Amino acid sequence: MNWGRFFHRGKADTEQREELEFYLDVTTEEYIARGVHPAAARDAARKKLGNATWIREEVYQMNTLDFLEGLLRDARHALRMIRLNSGFSTAAILSLALGIGANTAIFSLVNAVLIRPLPYPESESLVGVFNSGTIQGETFSDMGLGPGMYAALKEHSAAFQEFGVWSPGTATVTGAGDPEQIKTVTVTQGLLPALGVQPVLGRRFSIEDDMPGTAETVILSHSYWLRRFGGDTQMVGQMVVVDFVPRQVIGVMPRTFRFLDLSPDVLLPQRFAKANLRIEPFSYSGIARLKPGITIGLANEDSTRVLTKVIPENARSFFEQARVKPNLRPLKRDVTGDIGAVLGVLMGALGLVFLLVCANVANLVLVRAQARTQEFAIRAALGAEWGRIARELLVESLMLGLLGGAFGMALAYGALRILTAQSLTTIPRLAEVSVDAATLAFGLACSIAGSLFFGLIAALKCGIPGKILNARGASMGLHQLRAQNVLVIAQVALALVLLVVGGLLTRSFVALRGVHPGFTQPERIQTLRIAIPETQVPEPERVARMQAEIVENVSRLPGVQAAAFTSGMPMDADYRSGNLVAVEDKLVPGQPPPNRRVKSVSPGLFAAQGTRLLAGRDFTWEDLLKRRLVAIVSESMARENWGQPNTALGKRLRPGALGDIWLEVVGVVEDVHDDGAHRPAPPIVYFRTGVNDPWRPDRPPSIRRGLTLAIRSGRTGTERFLREVATAIHSVNPSLPLTQVRTLNDVYRRSMARTSFTFILLGIAGTMALALSIIGVYGVLAYAVGQRRREVSIRMALGAQPSQVKGLFVRRGILLASTGSVAGLAAAIGLSRWVSSLLFGVTALDPVSYVASAMIVSAAAVIASYIPARRASSVDPIESLRVD
Amino acid sequence: MVQGTLDMLVLRTLVVGPAHGQTIAHAIERGSEEVLQVEHGSLYPALRRLENRGWIASFWGTSENNRKAKYYRLTPEGKKQLAAQTSRWEQLVKAIGRIMHPAREGQS
Repeated sequence: MNWGRFFHRGKADTEQREELEFYLDVTTEEYIARGVHPAAARDAARKKLGNATWIREEVYQMNTLDFLEGLLRDARHALRMIRLNSGFSTAAILSLALGIGANTAIFSLVNAVLIRPLPYPESESLVGVFNSGTIQGETFSDMGLGPGMYAALKEHSAAFQEFGVWSPGTATVTGAGDPEQIKTVTVTQGLLPALGVQPVLGRRFSIEDDMPGTAETVILSHSYWLRRFGGDTQMVGQMVVVDFVPRQVIGVMPRTFRFLDLSPDVLLPQRFAKANLRIEPFSYSGIARLKPGITIGLANEDSTRVLTKVIPENARSFFEQARVKPNLRPLKRDVTGDIGAVLGVLMGALGLVFLLVCANVANLVLVRAQARTQEFAIRAALGAEWGRIARELLVESLMLGLLGGAFGMALAYGALRILTAQSLTTIPRLAEVSVDAATLAFGLACSIAGSLFFGLIAALKCGIPGKILNARGASMGLHQLRAQNVLVIAQVALALVLLVVGGLLTRSFVALRGVHPGFTQPERIQTLRIAIPETQVPEPERVARMQAEIVENVSRLPGVQAAAFTSGMPMDADYRSGNLVAVEDKLVPGQPPPNRRVKSVSPGLFAAQGTRLLAGRDFTWEDLLKRRLVAIVSESMARENWGQPNTALGKRLRPGALGDIWLEVVGVVEDVHDDGAHRPAPPIVYFRTGVNDPWRPDRPPSIRRGLTLAIRSGRTGTERFLREVATAIHSVNPSLPLTQVRTLNDVYRRSMARTSFTFILLGIAGTMALALSIIGVYGVLAYAVGQRRREVSIRMALGAQPSQVKGLFVRRGILLASTGSVAGLAAAIGLSRWVSSLLFGVTALDPVSYVASAMIVSAAAVIASYIPARRASSVDPIESLRVD
Repeated sequence: MVQGTLDMLVLRTLVVGPAHGQTIAHAIERGSEEVLQVEHGSLYPALRRLENRGWIASFWGTSENNRKAKYYRLTPEGKKQLAAQTSRWEQLVKAIGRIMHPAREGQS
């Protein structure tokens, strides 16, 4: 076979003809030379050559690929058939497009989030470095590292090629223009080399940048560089004022750089004072690049060896009791978290929808193929090989599949564009989602697998020898619908599974909405973050005064019911913090006290938040002024330690494992679901804001400088209101940036975002499944009615009542639906444990969801079968019999 | 003509130099003293087949009487192929000869 000639067969044939012409001419001349009459000579030459056309055909055949030729012809024929049967084709292609589109979209999510490596070179050797420990029976698997641990690992680790620690934060940029709060990530020198990234402009941090006393430096992100400095290529070397400290810009990161799942505006160097490398606080996350050949197990062992050396004498017993040990894991797991469960369920659900789509299209294709059995029989009788007919059916299915796939891919692209624009913080790595080669391959594989599935069913039912010869084109018995019946039962079963899952998620969502979160009307609570930097206002007393003035000014604004500061709003994971809290008389000697959620709040916070006071009193401004040692606890904290909210009053507790400063409980407030509505409310200890006396006399007094201002008002969200608030704050200090301006409702909604995201997608999947199975049931019964028209006519002519005829078909529909329902219920029970991790407030075997879904499916099936049944009963026997 | 020998004869004819279809046919016929008659119905498909296999190559040239004609020439692979086919053919002829004249074979 010569490909060149295959594609230029026309030209080759022309040459062949010329060659034969030449032969004829030469031979004719020879004959003439021998004395034959010119006219006769030509004829003689032709006779000698034989049939020229036949020769040309033989040569032409040699240049042909029979199979490919046939395939191309079949494809052309299939496209013609698809155009001609536009109703059938539209239905098939649209449902395929929906099925393939949904699956491709979710696949590209899974691919970007779970499958694709992190966007760093050789990212598989990157690990997140943490500690794990157990405090009071509660296991923490991602305790951070302390400065001392960092220094020890950096110096002595034999397993790490590069290593660094980081922590996220915010900072204020002042200078030209308005003060602006930006997101920062503070890193040690080894972190960028560990990730394997280089700035596009300038350099990375050096060891010197990490040392206190040298010039302060900063690296800009690409987007911040563009946004704030217009992409000035001369930026390196210039100064930027970050948190009122002038810093020299030493680099700009590449546009594609992402810091794990964060997109910080700037990177700052982490500076630990060399002299005082304490083991605490455990608040830095580590990232290391393992040396080649080192496994995580080995690295864990090595880190244990290194860390045991640096634990100071006085902390040794705590470390042993809490069983603190290094806990390294693939960095990717740190980024993706537990989103795998959600995506797995979604992928499974949409996979089921795709099966349903295939079953539906298979039904359509079968119906069409059966309608063409007569045609096939005639063609077989005329000598068509059965392979040709089967191939034609397959090719037609393939064309349908590919067209559906193409539209599906377009749908997926659109859906992903919409999804990524949502900035859903609950899905990690969402910004990396794109339609790439793997996604296209997946979509193509879906199309081809689906087409093979329904194409083979059609070919096996109608396109193989026995079937072709048997087909007489007359009315068919019920047994010939067996394949369709099985498909419909499968469809009903699949739809039921999806409805059950959708029902469970709906019930979870309702239960979640029903949880009283511990605050009221979150949409009326305006929050914004204010930090007063030490570089600007060094004295704690002045900071306290400013904070009090801000609350006072804002409270006086029209329409404001209450305003107060808190270290972090409920459900706001960014400012969540914990501390060891010892309760007087409940200390177990030699054991660390339990870790508790702690918050610092100013007087009036509970009123602003709508959290009820159950016993005692709120903090007062006098508490702050006199630096009183007071605390408020949540109901669950009170019940756990003292039995009743009332009995908690007057009891004492102490923050931290060290020191001897006891705080008196003066109030008990209701529980707040601080980890989100889907999690139980944790016991919370509230401290007051304001100046705190040091627990050791040689330290200065301290104050919390970064606080969230919560304002309860009916005017939240309006621009005018926000301007008034800003003016009130800036009258106290004009250079304070106001950041994270939002309502508590935004935070509240975000805490439910993952559940609602899953709930909405599964709702869509369930609805699609229901619609598809209704179409399936309707299609099969309508077809059966058409096939049995003669039988129905005879029955009616013999005196059957329309209602009896109707019953005949409706009963069949109910039979199909109930068989499918039983199978579906069994499958749903079997599969339900996969979704149990996504449920809230219902069990995976929630009877309401199961019964309701079964009822919906059955009702839908009855309606779907009633319509064709009525058509059957309205058949005019005379007319129908006359036609046949 | 014996089946499969046409290819070999065409290759053999082209050893002396390029030729067009008509010349090839004439050469075979004359060379065999008109014993072998080349049917043109098989000659042209055979030429195409040999060309597809890469044993001969074709080019358009000018014939003896200044006409455009398609010429064929032997390729290096064709030469190898001819050698292989020739030896196979000779073995075949010998083998057949032994069967047809067993006595003479035995005496010698």
